[in-house]
Amino acid sequence: MFRNIRFKLTLWYIVILGIILSSFSTFLYFTLSRSLYKGIDVKIKSIAEVIGSSSTNPYSQYSFSNIDRVLEESFGWKPVTKFIQVLDESGRIGRKSDNLQHFQLPASIRALKNASQGKATFETIRAMGEYPLRMVTVPVIRRRHIISIVQVATSLEGVEEALNTLLLILWITVPSALVVASLGGLFLANKALKPVDEITRTARMITSKSLDQRIKLKKANDEIGRLAETFNDMISRLGGSFKQIRQFSADASHELRTPLTILKGEIEVGLRKRRRLEEYRNILNSNLEEINHMTQIVDDLLFLSKADMGEVHLQKQPINLTQLASEVHAQAKMIAMPKDITVRINKDSDVVVVGDRLRLRELLLNLVDNGVKYTPEGGEMKISLERDDGRIKLRVMDNGIGIAPDDQAHIFDRFFRVDKARSREGGGSGLGLSICKWIVEAHGGEISVESDLGKGSTFTVTLPVAPPNAKEMPEAKSISEDPTFQH
Amino acid sequence: MRILVVEDEKKVASFLKKGLEEEHYAVDTAFDGEEGLYLAQISEYDLIILDIMLPKFDGMEILRRIRGNGSDVPILMLTAKDSTGDIISGLDSGSDDYLTKPFSFAELLARVRALLRRGMKEKTDVLSVSDLSLSTSTHQVKRGETKIELTPKEYALLEYFMRNPNRVLTRTLISEHVWDFHFDPSTNVVDVYVNYLRNKIDRGFDKKLIHTVRGSGYMIKDEP
Repeated sequence: MFRNIRFKLTLWYIVILGIILSSFSTFLYFTLSRSLYKGIDVKIKSIAEVIGSSSTNPYSQYSFSNIDRVLEESFGWKPVTKFIQVLDESGRIGRKSDNLQHFQLPASIRALKNASQGKATFETIRAMGEYPLRMVTVPVIRRRHIISIVQVATSLEGVEEALNTLLLILWITVPSALVVASLGGLFLANKALKPVDEITRTARMITSKSLDQRIKLKKANDEIGRLAETFNDMISRLGGSFKQIRQFSADASHELRTPLTILKGEIEVGLRKRRRLEEYRNILNSNLEEINHMTQIVDDLLFLSKADMGEVHLQKQPINLTQLASEVHAQAKMIAMPKDITVRINKDSDVVVVGDRLRLRELLLNLVDNGVKYTPEGGEMKISLERDDGRIKLRVMDNGIGIAPDDQAHIFDRFFRVDKARSREGGGSGLGLSICKWIVEAHGGEISVESDLGKGSTFTVTLPVAPPNAKEMPEAKSISEDPTFQH
Repeated sequence: MRILVVEDEKKVASFLKKGLEEEHYAVDTAFDGEEGLYLAQISEYDLIILDIMLPKFDGMEILRRIRGNGSDVPILMLTAKDSTGDIISGLDSGSDDYLTKPFSFAELLARVRALLRRGMKEKTDVLSVSDLSLSTSTHQVKRGETKIELTPKEYALLEYFMRNPNRVLTRTLISEHVWDFHFDPSTNVVDVYVNYLRNKIDRGFDKKLIHTVRGSGYMIKDEP
């Protein structure tokens, strides 16, 4: 329960409200009680003074003889609730008001002592009845002599009753206010936190298989609304990457399934009966071809997944791209020879870029390889290198089968194949151009394709030119060749 | 029994053809949807093995067109995707069975036998007429207790006869179901092989099983 934010909120709210209400009640109770007691004190003292003065007044016709009448004359009422007693200077009881009947008010030593010094004394005494009495003892002084002492007492019944009633009211109202407030607080917290529950429910239901779920909230422009929106955005992004991963692994398993089907089928059929040595040799050769193909797919996949995780590090250094293109040109002529494809090179003055020699070579070879694959026998290819507005444009052109406009947009996508059967026969993994794209982008460049169906394709790589102070270094021997990156 | 394999991956088509031929089936192969559909329409196949992902048009399309023409030839789908969606839509479009790649060749053979058995009385892999029996899985042929050794072609011919007992089989029917696309119908190869078969099945037995139906063709039956 205490792990529940709505109870915590309500609890805090109740504790704070409780402190406020009880301080207020305590303050109210003590202030009221003080002022009520003070009022009593003022009243009984004034009565005592009237009686005292009437006894010393030479013109008073009553002269202490009848206290009740004195009061009736001075205040207009009979002292029903006031008890009055007059003592002589030695403390003996003289007259007293009628309502005292046979009781008498006690005279304490302290009061008498104070009186002897001319001071009034207030005391609360428990003498009669269930309520205490408040009593004042006042000396009556004439010509510096104490001639008598007047005691006036009154029951505290009214005060005590008022205070008790107040206490009762407070005992009832404060807890009930707290109960009502806690229910209200709980209601408010519930109302405020309901969307959070909704978010929790949705979040709990979301798995990799249900990423199309969204949190549905009516109002969106408060903290919770923004949280829900953020959450929905996050689910969308997760859904996107899950979809990509699913597609990628589906494609990868599909690519691997074909060579596996061939391996399994050829071996099974081969083992069904005794065969000639030549037949076994053919089966093994075919198997080896498929294994090489699978190895390439796995290598390319590993490279791309490493690249995605940022684990492929480029050994960047200034590189003479013209020289690299010439090297690749020599290799391209060899690759193109079986298909009788002419490969020409068109190079400017030496251009230098900062990059990873191995990767750039890989890039060029992949593009050339791709061109050879899709160019019919006797076709032409051209590698060209030129400076263009502070950037280097490297083109690999062919006059092969070309790429349909719809397919051009996907040509760099992983496992995208214009013609499944044709590219498999060429031995490609379906990842070559994705790797090219990654290499170019890792060098801060761009790759694009222009193509006319049936007329050929041109792949253009744009790379930033190296700053003028960069000088080509001799080919570094320290670069360790990444074993996962061979074609 | 004649089988059409429609598979764009040449090596898969090739081992299927080789393996099936070694099991005495006559096999034609097609490498794309167009060719596959063409072959399926011009010849009488006993079974079609169909890859789903094909160039030109895919296996689903071929399936729909073959069934649209009213043919009930057994069709075994090969699918690289093992998503149930593809399998369900394949089965709903009229395929009889499916296998996901990579598949076991032995399993493929068993399924082929099961599909060829479809609509026949025997539910096992042993066909019999009178005291002659033929096991489609072990390829063993017996007359009574005597084992009979047959060449692959003779076996294929006998299997076709035994799958269609008491029915007149014309030379055209026999050539279509026992030989593949390269068979030249102008020769008398069918008659020659029927004679080979007779020599092995009926010679030395009182009861002859293979009969000539004059002017039409041949028939296997359990009566004189």
